[in-house]
Amino acid sequence: MDYTKFRLKPEQEIISVLKDKQNIVVLNCTKCFKEQDMNDQNECGELVPLLKKNNKKIIECIEIDFLCNRHQTEKLITKRTELIKDDITVIIYSCGFGIQAVTEIINKFSPKCEIYTVADTIPQDGHHGMALSIEKCDSCADCVLTYTGGICPVVNCSKGLLNGPCGGAKNGKCEISSDKDCAWEKIYNRLNSIGKIELGKQFFKIRKYSKPDYKTINNYNITIYEKRLQNFFGGVYPDENKEQTRNKQIIQFSIPKIVVLPLSQHTGAICEPLVKIGDKVYTGQKIGDIQSFISAPIHSPVTGKVVAIEPRKHPLIKKDVLSVVIESDNIDEYDVSVVPNNEWESLTKEELLNIIREKGIVGLGGAQFPTHVKLKSPKPIDTLVINGCECEPYLNSDYRIMVERPYSVIFGTLILMKILNVTKSYISIEDNKKEAIEIIKQKLDEFTNTNIEVIELKTKYPQGAERMLIKKLLGREIPIGGLPLDVGVVVNNVGTVSAVYDAVIKGLPLIRRVVTVTGENCINPGNYEIRLGTPIENVIDYCFGSEYKENNNKFILKMGGPMMGVEISGFDMPIIKGTTGLILLSKPDIEINLQRKCIKCGRCVDVCPMELFPLYFGLFTENKQYSEAEKYNVLSCIECGCCDYVCPSKRALVQSVKEIKKNLSVSKK
Amino acid sequence: MLITEIKPKEEFDIVLKDNLIIIICKGCKEIYLPVVDINNLINELKEKKIKFDTINVDYLCNHEYTKLRTINLKEKIDNADNILVFSCGVGVQVVSSYINKHVVAGCNTLYIHGFQGLTPFIINCEQCGQCFLNYTGGLCPITACSKSLLNGPCGGAKNGKCEIDPEKECGWEKIIDRLQKKNQIELLQIYQNPRKYSLK
Amino acid sequence: MFLRDLFKQGKFVITSEIGPPKGCEIEETLKEAEMIRGKVDAINVTDNQSSVMRFGSLATCHLLIEKGFDPVFQVVCRDRNRIALQSDILSAAGLGIKNLLLLTGDHPLLGDHPDAKPVFDLDSVSLIHVVKQLENGTDMMGNKLVGEPPKFCIGAVVSPCAEPLDPQLFKMEKKIKQGAEFFQTQAVYEPDKFAKFMDKVKSWNIPILVGIVILKSVGMAKYMNEKVAGVHVPDTLIEELKKDKEKTKSGQTGVEIAARLIKELKPLCQGVHLMPLGWTDKVPEILKLAEL
Repeated sequence: MDYTKFRLKPEQEIISVLKDKQNIVVLNCTKCFKEQDMNDQNECGELVPLLKKNNKKIIECIEIDFLCNRHQTEKLITKRTELIKDDITVIIYSCGFGIQAVTEIINKFSPKCEIYTVADTIPQDGHHGMALSIEKCDSCADCVLTYTGGICPVVNCSKGLLNGPCGGAKNGKCEISSDKDCAWEKIYNRLNSIGKIELGKQFFKIRKYSKPDYKTINNYNITIYEKRLQNFFGGVYPDENKEQTRNKQIIQFSIPKIVVLPLSQHTGAICEPLVKIGDKVYTGQKIGDIQSFISAPIHSPVTGKVVAIEPRKHPLIKKDVLSVVIESDNIDEYDVSVVPNNEWESLTKEELLNIIREKGIVGLGGAQFPTHVKLKSPKPIDTLVINGCECEPYLNSDYRIMVERPYSVIFGTLILMKILNVTKSYISIEDNKKEAIEIIKQKLDEFTNTNIEVIELKTKYPQGAERMLIKKLLGREIPIGGLPLDVGVVVNNVGTVSAVYDAVIKGLPLIRRVVTVTGENCINPGNYEIRLGTPIENVIDYCFGSEYKENNNKFILKMGGPMMGVEISGFDMPIIKGTTGLILLSKPDIEINLQRKCIKCGRCVDVCPMELFPLYFGLFTENKQYSEAEKYNVLSCIECGCCDYVCPSKRALVQSVKEIKKNLSVSKK
Repeated sequence: MLITEIKPKEEFDIVLKDNLIIIICKGCKEIYLPVVDINNLINELKEKKIKFDTINVDYLCNHEYTKLRTINLKEKIDNADNILVFSCGVGVQVVSSYINKHVVAGCNTLYIHGFQGLTPFIINCEQCGQCFLNYTGGLCPITACSKSLLNGPCGGAKNGKCEIDPEKECGWEKIIDRLQKKNQIELLQIYQNPRKYSLK
Repeated sequence: MFLRDLFKQGKFVITSEIGPPKGCEIEETLKEAEMIRGKVDAINVTDNQSSVMRFGSLATCHLLIEKGFDPVFQVVCRDRNRIALQSDILSAAGLGIKNLLLLTGDHPLLGDHPDAKPVFDLDSVSLIHVVKQLENGTDMMGNKLVGEPPKFCIGAVVSPCAEPLDPQLFKMEKKIKQGAEFFQTQAVYEPDKFAKFMDKVKSWNIPILVGIVILKSVGMAKYMNEKVAGVHVPDTLIEELKKDKEKTKSGQTGVEIAARLIKELKPLCQGVHLMPLGWTDKVPEILKLAEL
């Protein structure tokens, strides 16, 4: 199936329009809605010989994917303004959308530039769907399919008749062409086979061409357009599904019998165990560390005895990771190192950093980056951003921390501001967390001159991604391959900030964290503060019940959110520092599969917040052309999952990116 | 770009009784689906204690998916008396081709500017097959003008707004303005033949 | 004269059809009508038949009335929207036209203006519905008409030999429900098929005028078999046309076949509608041979 949108105009028309124009630049759209074939012919190929034959000088022919994507095309064209001068004739070889879009772009900086089209958009009967299928819809806004056995007379009957056949059909074919079936005969047969002839007979309709009216359509147009472009380019609006645990107060999950602590729960060097089998350990005691810049120590979350130090399954790492296994006494006896400190303001920046390191604080938004390393930025920092967006669906751990422990967030922020020596900090919260915004603002009012501002952002995934957040809040763009510190910013997750507060003021190391447990078939959804190392099985038993364990092949268990979370198979994994949530989702009835054809619909390009062309990552992976992907900036991909989410062919795009990245790093070594 | 609105309830009231299957397509996420209205309807049915099943699908227009799903759900579908589908017209047509039962459309489909899938647009293209943009400075007279006139404005515009809606700009005034800015106003003198509706 | 009055009297109604010219000189058409004055009960005037642009049916009907004929005003849905259709129907009433034949019309692609925009704002069923509304004193939007409402005898079409037949019956029933009072059919050459058709519609008690098209040549028969919907000329008739080339060329074979068909079909239906396709001069002879 090929929903080709445009074709070349007749040669005569092209030549008569171009007259004596020389100096031609061609902008050619590579077409959409067709099965993508890497061996596609160069589209310019038809046009160039024609122009040459008529003695036109072609300065350049630029092939553009999805020419009508205003944002992407504008980026491309504004990079080449030197090409599009007033004396240049620009030829646009695309459908009507592309032409009009490009004309508006070029008009902005070169209003006198002459722009011509050499293509006609091909007329279609009705609009197609998101798959390359025969069926089309004429969007008549008054669907009669109920009375016509599910066959549309508006699209399929050449005369658009609504009340029965005309009598012009011969051998079941329409009078206008023997290739075309008579729609009404098909309708009649279908009504017959489903036993609804009577219904068809009762049906009488006259079409109303005044509906839908201009205003209705215009409003939809504008609303949907604005929503798509809100906050930042790309991104999606998945169902939030946060109601289940939104109002569930943080509850302490029971102390487990056994905890399994992988010595790697952070980015960087794996820790070495500081204890041995048989040792008694106390709650908060450091049990693993390493003298490496990028690392963070591990602490015992319980009081008890070390029963094993051996490789164990890790939720994020394929190979087993050396872990310290502790049997708990079920009584919290705090280690001597757990010492509160009420006078944090008198501590120096270095002392504060030391505490943060010593207490094992890492990024709790899921990245697990050692916080003290982030705070020791080699480049100057002028702004601190606290990320309270929690843009992943289902998750509420950050939200509950903001609502229930607002002081920990505020004080934690002040501590970080002192360390960074910044005079301004923002707490960004998405607008689906109105209560959190209210409470934080309220509590901030009790302080004077904190220079902390709460910013409410419209909810859109992935607003919480660093790049999107910094661009939206501060208008600064992190360079490709760079980090927030490159633009003078440090971003910390709300949970991390609260943990910093606990560490500095309560002397508490990172031994537990708030985890949102929820999903389908969840009998005890909630926001549980769980000791690190707690076996997931404990949580599953309590929250999902035995039905899950018996039927677990119908479900997917994800650590994190549904968009970027990691799928967990097997129950013998522990809760770790980066476990933001445990979500139970029904297995999709149609699995993602790279083998289905890309239909070049352009949606992945529309939703990629990094403004990449994800369709190519899938295609290059299929053809094992990993190095080609670098030209398309695959390394900038933040693996947010927006492309997977919208792909109508359900291609495994994020998986492709991971494969490409792996191959590129291997080949670089 | 196809979007949907829920039909007035009277149009599918008749199937809101026991042994109903409701198929909801959320494929074109972001585009538009009256999710709130549909959820309200489902809650209503629950309150009335009607026996029904909800099947959530995506891309109902995709034959591969729909075929597989109708096979997997064969028993449920066979036992159902009525099937109510919330999706655009394409989805309803595709699913009807796999279910030999009465399929009732729950939505009306509307078109907003732009091709299916790609970023929604403010401008529009009517796919006339004989692009006029070379003569109108890049603004389409068929879609910008409510009457799709090809040879200049009608005279019904008031304050630059079209006679059908005071919020809609007169397409031809925009075109003339554009042509003037580009020094191409003489193009307006060229007689444009009536449209060829035979083009396909 | 309303055709329904003739049906009530139990008369076997005879109608014929003339097509206006592609030009504004209507004299020839009026002369054509003279050839069948007194021989037929009413004369159909086609409306841009086969999507070929011609002198208007409404104006022709008006001129026929002036000459004392009873026209059947054919109206197709292809060329005018609901506003123009209602307007022309009111005009028809004002000009004294009493009988209508409402049909969908061929697609423009089949005619000599293939680029024309196909209107089909209404279809035959809705057009019948709309005429009934006008008869009831309002336009289709419910606005009251000024003065006495128009009165018509509404006819529609059906293809009795179409294959499959059921969709035709499906629509025929709808037309009757909306107010069709009689039917003129597509050309019939197979009496047994027609009999089967009449059997199916018997219970609807609606007057049917069987359509007869004069076979002018073997080529025409073959063309209809291939291209024209709902029409089938059996081999026996084609053989008959082949047998005597001169006789066929003179039109005599066609006349004989037509007369024979009418005789055979007469007992089954309530009238005959002749479509001479320009051979109006042969109509009196056909009627004589058919003993009408």
